[in-house]
Amino acid sequence: MLREITLGQYYPVDSLLHRLDPRVKLAGTFLFLIALFIVNSWTAYIFLALVLLLLIKLSNVPFSFMVRGLKSVLFLLLLSVSFNLFLTPGKEIFRFYIFKISQEGLHIASMMAVRLILLVLSSSLMTLCTTPNELTDGMEKGLSILKKLHLPIHEIAMMMSIALRFIPILVEETDKIMKAQMARGADFESGGIVHKAKAMVPILVPLFVSAFRRAYDLALAMESRCYQGGEGRTKMKPLHYERRDYLSYLFLLIVLALSIGSRFVSLP
Amino acid sequence: MNNIEVKDCTYEYVRRDENDEVVEKLSAISHLNFTIEEGSFVCVLGHNGSGKSTLAKLFNALQIPTEGCVIISGMDSREEANVFPIREKVGMVFQNPDNQIIASVVEEDVGFGPENIGIPTEEIWKRVADALDAVNMEAYRLKSPNHLSGGQKQRVAIAGTLAMEPKTIVLDEPTAMLDPSGRAEVIRSIRELNQKKGITIILITHYMEETVDADRIILMDQGKLVLDGTPKEIFSKVEELKSLRMDVPLITDLAHELCLSGMPISEGILKEEELVEELLAIFGKDSFGEEEAASQAPTLSLEETENEKDKEKEKDFILKVENLSCIYQKGTAMESYALKDIHLSIKRGSFSALIGHTGSGKSTLLQHFNGLIKPEEGEISVHFRKNPALILQDKGFLFWKGKKRKVEKEGVLSFREEGFDFQGLRFKVGLVFQYPEYQLFEETVFEDVLFGPKNQGLSLEEARKEAEEALRSMGVEEALWQKSPFELSGGQKRRVAIAGVLAMDPELLILDEPTAGLDPAGREELFQVIAHLQERYAMTILLVSHSMDDVARYAEEVFVLNQGECIRQGSPEEVFSHKKEMEELGLGLPQIRAFLYSLEEKGLSFPKKNTVEEAKAMILSAYKKRRGGENA
Repeated sequence: MLREITLGQYYPVDSLLHRLDPRVKLAGTFLFLIALFIVNSWTAYIFLALVLLLLIKLSNVPFSFMVRGLKSVLFLLLLSVSFNLFLTPGKEIFRFYIFKISQEGLHIASMMAVRLILLVLSSSLMTLCTTPNELTDGMEKGLSILKKLHLPIHEIAMMMSIALRFIPILVEETDKIMKAQMARGADFESGGIVHKAKAMVPILVPLFVSAFRRAYDLALAMESRCYQGGEGRTKMKPLHYERRDYLSYLFLLIVLALSIGSRFVSLP
Repeated sequence: MNNIEVKDCTYEYVRRDENDEVVEKLSAISHLNFTIEEGSFVCVLGHNGSGKSTLAKLFNALQIPTEGCVIISGMDSREEANVFPIREKVGMVFQNPDNQIIASVVEEDVGFGPENIGIPTEEIWKRVADALDAVNMEAYRLKSPNHLSGGQKQRVAIAGTLAMEPKTIVLDEPTAMLDPSGRAEVIRSIRELNQKKGITIILITHYMEETVDADRIILMDQGKLVLDGTPKEIFSKVEELKSLRMDVPLITDLAHELCLSGMPISEGILKEEELVEELLAIFGKDSFGEEEAASQAPTLSLEETENEKDKEKEKDFILKVENLSCIYQKGTAMESYALKDIHLSIKRGSFSALIGHTGSGKSTLLQHFNGLIKPEEGEISVHFRKNPALILQDKGFLFWKGKKRKVEKEGVLSFREEGFDFQGLRFKVGLVFQYPEYQLFEETVFEDVLFGPKNQGLSLEEARKEAEEALRSMGVEEALWQKSPFELSGGQKRRVAIAGVLAMDPELLILDEPTAGLDPAGREELFQVIAHLQERYAMTILLVSHSMDDVARYAEEVFVLNQGECIRQGSPEEVFSHKKEMEELGLGLPQIRAFLYSLEEKGLSFPKKNTVEEAKAMILSAYKKRRGGENA
């Protein structure tokens, strides 16, 4: 089950999106999210969905792979949709027992669903075509202004990239530990909440122990390869903008402008 | 020229209490003196806890000696300014392949080191390409490390140090967590670097076979250097090595045994070819044991009774698998068989072994055995000695779901039976995973072992009794029982973890690579304990192993798995007689058997045996016969 998380994973193919400067992709995702929350008409949503579809097409990441990432947030999606669906007051259109659905509720819930789906898809699109290292490089350089405020941007970026690298490893490890404890008769399924919480101890303790061991090992490995923080480091893949990056910025601004504009004209 | 000089070097671990006062000092290394020549290939041996890893860290200034000094290419590691230049000169590769790869793409990981030391961009790209080329990993440069095998990951780690253009690479048990093919890949790469690029190699290992090509072996014991010499010199001292909890390659052992029994064979033989030559010089081209083999071949009638016996035994299985298949991602384009039409039966009270290379479906099969994966297609049935009470029945009434009650049922039980209790099954089929010590979690050793029996629903008193017995039979001393499991040594942790499974009193004990990562003496001791379990408690043992020597030595029955199919089962003799097949599968043969085959190729043939003892007896009797013949 845990293996299906595609959020935060890199999909290694070559495409225009993969080649873009990570700063563009970071800014792009950010702007796209803003656009998502600005627009409020269906036409605009369809427009943004089409933009996203175009980007997915350009990224060469199979669509089915992207959709799989949605599974992990399905619960959250259903929860927020049903809250909006049932709890929004307004003109009643459907009633079942104590549940009633209002027209406004239906409208808000479906908008919410579309918004969330686009949100998840767009952010996983970014991580799927940006390696964690590029991502951190992008963050580091893009936010380097903050260094002047003595914020440890390089360190934060490094921590993020390591976290991303170790997610699949720790997921696998959790799976192994769970099975090992089940082989010793541990029962994770039955019982109430208290029992279930207690049953997690045999998983969490070994997981933490192992995470610390890995952290120690990794620190040694990094030190032995002369890591000493961001000072004096060169880059294997230094960031510099190319024509395609400027064009992408332009494209993004147009999308954003259209989104903002959509609020001032009445659209269905 | 001397590359590394260790001068009167001592390293102490200091443990302090909360008030920062020194509680105890443990010296990991004491007063070491030696030098390592540039371009040489040095192996460091020593049992677990002998100070090898500490020594490795001293070489590249990850640790600074408490006394004395380490000088690398003229730089003293005690001086702060030298630390990074030293680390540039001396690269390190560690044991765990996952924990030393920093980036999520192979090429970026290899570039990590050069980035740190401020190499210009174009130069980094060149170095990355060269480094990956040197370990034959250029085809994987854009892959994610998570998709590589263990051996490939280690080669990436080697490339990562190589890209910093070091003069020396120190490898701290780089092959301990790998399967045999991964081990061979890594060792081949290391050797090439040494020979082609003249890089000094310091290899720390537990596998004696890896050391035979070294220029020099250093043997450590309790932080001191006890033996130092060429492999030939070191391995001539078989008895001394054994007293230091070390091992010798099996070929060396055989040669030594023959020599002790009076055959004119020189000491310190390391490789197959050497012993082949020596034996050829003694016997010439000849063929032995054919009459013997002929007399051993059973007559037809005998064979028939054997068959009947087999059928008898067939009934006496503890676990039987029929037509078992397991399909991953069924119904999608990526559908693939993890297991395909498996038939096998494990005899009660036997010591069996399951072999197959990584990814052959072994672990999927094992998880079927104790119900962690439930059979989708095919049938698994069990037949336990003690009443298993594996069937659950609801005592409920209409909609009210009652508490489940265990119903006793004798005889053969199928997993498909109504209400089969998989939870209960796990107490009967004990499954010890690889590196079981990673599952320890309680505050004390004893509490941890109690976990299983408690889950079983035993009373505290009964559970304690089981735990005590399990700990005793695994040879865990009582003094350790109230300690935290995290304070124990690796070998002790492993025993405690196995005791945790044993405490549930299983009838079938499955061990997945139980000796991985242990030193030779630790491996030997653990096998003794396991063999003892089989004898004393008539426990059925299923061993999963990559070591054909261990399999040949302990197992009565071997199952060979390849691509999800059980392609062969039989006695070790029978399975290993399919030489070509075993080699094609990448599993190989027991070393002694392989040696006897190469002897045969040179024209001297003996009946094929698997262990040192058998081969020794056979060669000796041939020798005596020959001598007798000459004298007459």
